[in-house]
Amino acid sequence: MTLAELARGAAARVVALPDDADTASQCQSMGLQIGASVELVRRAPFGGPLHVRTGEVELAVGRELAARVVVEST
Amino acid sequence: MSDASLVAFLGRPNAGKSSLFNALTGRRARVGNFPGVTVDVEEHDVTLPSGRAATLCDLPGLHRLAGELGEGTDEEIARRIVDHAAEGERPLVIVQVCDATRLALGLALTRQARDRGPAAPFVLALTHADELEAEGARVDAARLARLAGVDVVVTHAAAPDAAEKVIGAVDAARPSPAVDFDPDAVAREVVTRAPARPSGPRARTAAWDRALLHPALGLPIFLTVMAAMFAAVFLVSDPVTTLLDGGMQRLTALRPRLGDGFAASMLLDGALGGVGTVLAFLPQIVILIVGMELLEASGYLARAAFLLDRAFRGFGLGGKAFVPLLTGHACAVPAISATRVLRDPGERLATILVIPLMGCSARLPVYTLLISTFFGESAVRRAAIATGLYAAGVLSGLVAARVLRASVARGNGRALPLLLEMPLLRRPMLRPILHRAWREAKDFTRRAGSVILSASIILWVLLNTAVREPAYEGEPLIDRSVAAAAGRALEPVTRPLGFDWRINLGLVGSFGARELMVGTMGVIFGVEDADKEPAPLVEKLRAAKGPDGRPAYGPPTAAALLVFFVLACQCISTLSAVRRETRSAKLALFVLAYTYALAWLAAAATYQVARLLA
Repeated sequence: MTLAELARGAAARVVALPDDADTASQCQSMGLQIGASVELVRRAPFGGPLHVRTGEVELAVGRELAARVVVEST
Repeated sequence: MSDASLVAFLGRPNAGKSSLFNALTGRRARVGNFPGVTVDVEEHDVTLPSGRAATLCDLPGLHRLAGELGEGTDEEIARRIVDHAAEGERPLVIVQVCDATRLALGLALTRQARDRGPAAPFVLALTHADELEAEGARVDAARLARLAGVDVVVTHAAAPDAAEKVIGAVDAARPSPAVDFDPDAVAREVVTRAPARPSGPRARTAAWDRALLHPALGLPIFLTVMAAMFAAVFLVSDPVTTLLDGGMQRLTALRPRLGDGFAASMLLDGALGGVGTVLAFLPQIVILIVGMELLEASGYLARAAFLLDRAFRGFGLGGKAFVPLLTGHACAVPAISATRVLRDPGERLATILVIPLMGCSARLPVYTLLISTFFGESAVRRAAIATGLYAAGVLSGLVAARVLRASVARGNGRALPLLLEMPLLRRPMLRPILHRAWREAKDFTRRAGSVILSASIILWVLLNTAVREPAYEGEPLIDRSVAAAAGRALEPVTRPLGFDWRINLGLVGSFGARELMVGTMGVIFGVEDADKEPAPLVEKLRAAKGPDGRPAYGPPTAAALLVFFVLACQCISTLSAVRRETRSAKLALFVLAYTYALAWLAAAATYQVARLLA
């Protein structure tokens, strides 16, 4: 399952980041790292970004990026 | 080579780094060009308690120092500065300002920074510890210092002893080897966690977000906030401007006492007509700055980026581009620097190229003058028209971005997806905002006193120097002046827009600074109507006659002129900022060419259509 498919209010754990090193490093620097717990707070309408809560911070994550972050339900 | 220590302040965005830096420097920092890195950074020289000299320098906010960083982005610039400093001969001290509520992420940055300057003394300044405490959590600073191998000081920009504490820590910091640690593990160990309190900052932010980011109401709320801010600029400042305008007239009424001489006319019609007219618009600019700073300090801008991301993608930009575009409503120059937060080179270039279309504060005087002269019975209607002009600027900017993304600013073809931290919503600290507004007011006044004053006097001279003998008995001097001849030479180009020589002169003048448009009108009508009763510029403009004796200007001309000002990049500073940021003079010329072409076409269309309707 990817972060983009997470239901609203559902919690999960990040198991894989996008392949390209730059995007992965950027995700990590924002707290979206392997093992981090994530919770989907809300989605912006019309395919807009996702509002995600991780350990310490809340993030706005573009849908295309979220579709490349693999998570598993917790 | 100076042996003063270099104290580099770095930190993640929203950590409170710049507030702390400002508190330390008493906001007296100057913008310096960092040696070896041609980028402006704020610097301030201090003497440490031990007597050592040091230069404090404020690096751009960043999330990381490792990895592939896009050239010219904030992160890459900061890394270049740290690397350059670490190799230099000056002793380097690194101060990382770290939000205690985001300790693990901050410590990850600490590790990367220590890799860059391994033995440099390192001070970790923890801010927002009060927010942590409001959640019932606490951070153990001594333990943190031991585990991370750095000096730790807990402080806050608003604390009266912040400067003393941080400077003391910098002075006491000694070189220490970098320690290998796991940021997450250390953060877990030193912060006693507690579940979010219902009254804590997190819960409060979540409650606000439920409304601000509501799927149906979020965008309407955003649009209302924006429209209210721009309308307020006009509504609140209206009475103040009227008052100042009245004062200006009373000064002009001194004419009989000053006599009829050359000097009196230069002073009253030239200097006062130009500078005074422009200065009357100070309140608008201050209100706008305060509004924008409040939005920024509250954390709402990240929410706006979230809400706008989807719509902006349709124009080839991302939600993050909103922040530099909004900044452009105060001034395009800092807005162009603010694009350094954008990682996608194509998106960044497109944003730089359309920022000149945002309604910057220098356009305010022109908007206000024209609207109140030709369209304004009620204040509400005036504010509505002005807000519409801002919207027109934003919309044309977005459309231009769409076109540029398919041509000049293609980049890698599509915008990188959004990844943005949503900071806690905070009550803005008032002092730095008022200080910023004060600085802005000072700059504006200084510009009015220098650029606009000299331009007004030059214009006055040109209006009083004849190029030819009178064509008929009693032909006024102004009609055969150098200035009139120059303005008339442009009339063939601007006739389809409904402009006459007076407006043309204003357009030439406003190329240096847009406010000169209004100043020019003030001077021209001051000279023209010198022998009449003093009247507000608004009335003089309405009464102005063309060569055929009919009113020179009406709503069609005013509408065309407004459209012209919305679109044309009449600003040398903006062009040079575009050149600096894109490292291309060609792109700067491109901005000039495309905005003027657009402005001419749209103004001509407006004038012709409005005349048909009238």
